[in-house]
Amino acid sequence: MISLRGVSLVYPNGVRALDNVNLEIAKGDFVFLVGHSGTGKSSLLRLLYREAKATAGQITVDGIRVDRVRRSRVPALRRHLGVVFQDFKLLNDKTVWENVAFAMQVTGAHTRDVMRQVPRVLDLVGLSHKSRMYPNELSGGEQQRTAIARALVNNPKILLCDEPTGNLDPTNTSEITALLQRINLKGTTVVVATHNQAVVDRMRRRVVRLDDGRITTDEERGYYYLGLRESQVLSG
Amino acid sequence: MDSGKVKFFLGEVLRNFTRNTGMQMTAIGTVAITIVLLGMFLFVRAALAGAGAQLLDQIEISAYLRADATPKQVTAIAHYLEADRRIASVQFVPKRQGLAELRERTKGTIDTGLLTENPLPDKFRIKARVPDDVPAVAAGVRRLSGVDNVVYGQKIVQRLLQLGAVLRRIGIGVIGVFFAVAGIIIANTIRLTVFARRREIAIMQLVGATNTYIRLPFICEGLVDGVIGGLLAVGLLSIARVTLWPRLLEALPWAQLRAFPLDPRLLGGELVLVGATIGIVASWISVGRHLRT
Repeated sequence: MISLRGVSLVYPNGVRALDNVNLEIAKGDFVFLVGHSGTGKSSLLRLLYREAKATAGQITVDGIRVDRVRRSRVPALRRHLGVVFQDFKLLNDKTVWENVAFAMQVTGAHTRDVMRQVPRVLDLVGLSHKSRMYPNELSGGEQQRTAIARALVNNPKILLCDEPTGNLDPTNTSEITALLQRINLKGTTVVVATHNQAVVDRMRRRVVRLDDGRITTDEERGYYYLGLRESQVLSG
Repeated sequence: MDSGKVKFFLGEVLRNFTRNTGMQMTAIGTVAITIVLLGMFLFVRAALAGAGAQLLDQIEISAYLRADATPKQVTAIAHYLEADRRIASVQFVPKRQGLAELRERTKGTIDTGLLTENPLPDKFRIKARVPDDVPAVAAGVRRLSGVDNVVYGQKIVQRLLQLGAVLRRIGIGVIGVFFAVAGIIIANTIRLTVFARRREIAIMQLVGATNTYIRLPFICEGLVDGVIGGLLAVGLLSIARVTLWPRLLEALPWAQLRAFPLDPRLLGGELVLVGATIGIVASWISVGRHLRT
């Protein structure tokens, strides 16, 4: 579903964000990208939705060669992806419903489909009863659920999350984590960049660790810290 | 037709438009001024062209005869003139008739009764078929014996036409500057809207809206600015036509403005179209810059 081969990213200011990264993510995978701030987690996600362009290497997302895709094809690529951010990126002058519907309306969806699809995703994230509220009337967790609903409303095969719980308290964090898991169980490939140890350790999913722009480890059922064992997590 | 889609789109345009009313008014006002200037320019140009053509048409050559010209010479001149194909009409004006015409023309302004004798010579009044032939015809007549002097209004007309050309150049310059100003103001207005909506634009790009789709509401905003400005200008020009035009006719009877062919009612569509074009071009450039970065 996602494939990176020999990918490097050097920003115009000379900063090397990613250095010869190789990564394969299969359909239906749930992957954590972990590492310190500035190790290239966000940069890697940005490459996948073509917000940044790789300096070298091949990137394939859902059969599209992202490193070669023409500018005019970028919107089509992004319709296959849902993206969620730490700061939610909601429109404060639109209701929950309007925020979610917006993603369909601006990509030219039929009103018929909007009316069918928006209630479905709002139900999935558990916000049906708050669809008429505005973002600033919601808790952080609810805002993030709105953002996730917006990311899912166009039925993407892949959901990319950049620090989705970064602004949330532990309760809201576990809500969002559970939601992401549910979404993954429905078949969506989920990639989460995070440095929330609790989230990673509770889920026990694939963990890809980045350090200074390189992938250092890639574990099938990993913990946030390398070499940590289950007993230590439970006791700690 | 998906009415929900249309409603959503129009809602977006309306939100853009009402977000920054003061700036919109400035943009509309500038477009209106630009187009009023354009309308006035077209108007003056048409009036000048009309007046110029009429003056050229009226040019006549006066061939004054020497006081001592013999009847034989006069007959020879008349034959020569009648044979010339470039000449449309010839009229012999004896000095008595000349004086009578002069009296008629200057009635109430100059007291010709003071003249003790007739100072005017006999003359031939000649009209050329084509204004361009006037100088050649005049030169030919001057060579004939018995002709004292040949006079025609060519120099005045040439100056008038030169003046027209200069005015036209100045007009085009001024209008060019105003078009640029109007374009820049619309572009800035749109840029403010783009700035106010940068979050929405970022989200649209993120969820995969095409650049054309993102651009469209802004283009519509520019279009609305341009069209309203254009309509305003046509309205102002129409009012001017009703109120100022009759007074202008009264004040400048000599300018032959009655021949003026331009009617704002006929030109209204074109002027609004010009406004629409300024709006579209300015907003296209303005949003394009933002989308590229």
